[in-house]
Amino acid sequence: MSISARPIRDRALITVALLILLVAAASAQDWIRTGTGLGVERVRLAAADFQSSTADARNADLLKTFNTVLWSDLDNAGIFDLVSRSFYPLQQPGQPSDINFSAWNSPPPNTSMLAFGNLGIASGKVTLQGWLYDVKNEKSPQVLGKQYNDNATPDAVRVIAHRFADEIIFRLGGGVAGIAESKIYFVSERTGHKEVWMMDYDGANQQQVTHLGSISLSPRISPDGSRLAFSSINKGGWEIMMYSFDLNRMISFPRFGGMNLSPSFSPEGKIAFSSSRNGYPNIFVVDASGGNSKRLTDDKGPDVSPTWNRKTGSQIAFVSGRTGLPQIYTMESDGTNLQRITDQGYAVSPNWSPNGQFLTFSWMRKYGPGEPGSNDLYLMDIASKQWVQLTHDAGRNDFPCWSPDGRHIVFQSHRSGRDQIWSMLADGTNVKQLTFDGANSQPNWSWK
Amino acid sequence: MYADNIYSEHGQLRRPLAWSLGLHVAFAAFVVLYSVFVNGIRGSGWGSGGGGDAMGATLVSAVPLPANPTETTNVVATESKGLAKSQPTVQEKEPEAIPIPDKNTKTRIKPAPVKTATERRPQPEQPQSNQIPYGEGGPVNGPYTMSAGGAKGGFGFTGSGGDFGSRYSWYVQAVQRKVTENWLKYEVDPRITEASRVYLTFDIGRDGHASNIQIEQPSNVPSLNQSALRALQRIDTFGPLPPDYSGSKVSVEFWFDFKR
Repeated sequence: MSISARPIRDRALITVALLILLVAAASAQDWIRTGTGLGVERVRLAAADFQSSTADARNADLLKTFNTVLWSDLDNAGIFDLVSRSFYPLQQPGQPSDINFSAWNSPPPNTSMLAFGNLGIASGKVTLQGWLYDVKNEKSPQVLGKQYNDNATPDAVRVIAHRFADEIIFRLGGGVAGIAESKIYFVSERTGHKEVWMMDYDGANQQQVTHLGSISLSPRISPDGSRLAFSSINKGGWEIMMYSFDLNRMISFPRFGGMNLSPSFSPEGKIAFSSSRNGYPNIFVVDASGGNSKRLTDDKGPDVSPTWNRKTGSQIAFVSGRTGLPQIYTMESDGTNLQRITDQGYAVSPNWSPNGQFLTFSWMRKYGPGEPGSNDLYLMDIASKQWVQLTHDAGRNDFPCWSPDGRHIVFQSHRSGRDQIWSMLADGTNVKQLTFDGANSQPNWSWK
Repeated sequence: MYADNIYSEHGQLRRPLAWSLGLHVAFAAFVVLYSVFVNGIRGSGWGSGGGGDAMGATLVSAVPLPANPTETTNVVATESKGLAKSQPTVQEKEPEAIPIPDKNTKTRIKPAPVKTATERRPQPEQPQSNQIPYGEGGPVNGPYTMSAGGAKGGFGFTGSGGDFGSRYSWYVQAVQRKVTENWLKYEVDPRITEASRVYLTFDIGRDGHASNIQIEQPSNVPSLNQSALRALQRIDTFGPLPPDYSGSKVSVEFWFDFKR
């Protein structure tokens, strides 16, 4: 019996050991051990020109559009150190099998990431395959692989390039969505009237939105992108107007009387604006349909340009002239806890960052006779009140507005001799002009 | 009657006319005699005498100029300072005048400064400007107050069940970048210049959200522990885990070094 029992006991021990191992393997998880001070460097990224995958003659034009737009999007992202094309190997890959890792992951390109792919037109449709490879990791290099199909038009290829760029930015940028498909709304008087226009984030596809034939100012897009609020002058004076992108027409919004200016959407869709219905311009809040009006300030000084904390929706920054020159104040969304943010000069046009930490605004720090101050953009950390100047010696700059990713700021500048829309990274670098026709002002970036 | 009076004065003018004539004659005689005697003593007058010989002139270029004392290979310009360099004039300093002692001036003894209680009090510090110089604001998406100066660290991966760190090093770097960007160093007590390292652990789920944020080993500075915790709490997402990763979550051990 003891002879027959031993193998059974051994078998049971082995089974128990195997079970323990299995449980251990199942509960095991990957650990990352890392820390600060290791250098917060930008990702070194190469974007090889996409190759033609079919023999269609129209491929060349679409490839040119795609490669240009993709490069521009990645360059504008602000998180990449884009490797110059002059460092690239002569053989550019169109397929994963074409990649020569050592040619990319060592100098001169010495890149960490490589975006590549191919494009081809077949039966009127364009098919695009794109990959993102970690070329320093030859064992499992693929980070991203995407395929897109659409009509073989430059506009469709432009959209595909934006989407592929946004995918790359989303993966490598810590889960922050790219802005390549975002829109910018602005006021343009190129038709002779101040109307609201819209364009892509890079200045392409400029389209007229309103055709009111009067003066329309301060356009603000709703968080879901379906409605656009702005102030416009009509027979009754300045009123808040509303445009629906779902219906592609103006929709009704209550008339409040007095002068109603500078609407602003909260993350929940409420609208704050300045109204002088009671005599003095004060900040009011209404719900999305214009009802439930509530007055937040009740002083004599003109209070204008409210902007919501886009992260929490629980605070409002605004401009007030209650002490003389306009200064920036913050308050809770119910009007309590009023705090003055700027201490001197002439500060206007506040805009709250998507993460709720920063305010950007236009500030003339030295104002008055004998103090020729310049109208520049500033950024302030709300918690610490520390600020940094973003524009320097470049004409009058005003109406800054954050991008949805919190990495860019669009603004109006007179540096080219006429008011135009410009964009820059939130540290003041990479300044680019977006509009060139007519005079353009008061930009507002979509929420996503 | 009036005419008679006029004509009757004829006889009275005769004497002055005689005096006038005599004096004029005497003055003329003096002038003649003066010219004769005085000029005779002085010799020849203006314009008299011979013209003399013509003076010879020679061209300056014929005069041998002094040679350049230093030879140089510089063909562009001479390095010689030239012989005609003007010497700087030495300014002679005038001796200070000794003041004349005034009998009436009283010498006043200055009292030694006595420190008062108000002076001994610490003066209030000037409020520092909260401006951050342009270009020193930190990363584009980060807090504009951080600086990585003085911080040191290192990172490694241990895979008890997988090899996440080596397969997805781009994700690890994104995590590291994002935590560092969201760490606000001004939240640490301003009196602290150096602190021991604080270790935090947290999990990243498949959707990229951080959970189970805990201090594994605290620092000796409580405010550093708090700032590290807040950095993690401030982050909404690290981005979804790589789609081909089979695990449901990744555990991260993150340390914060602080040094001003």
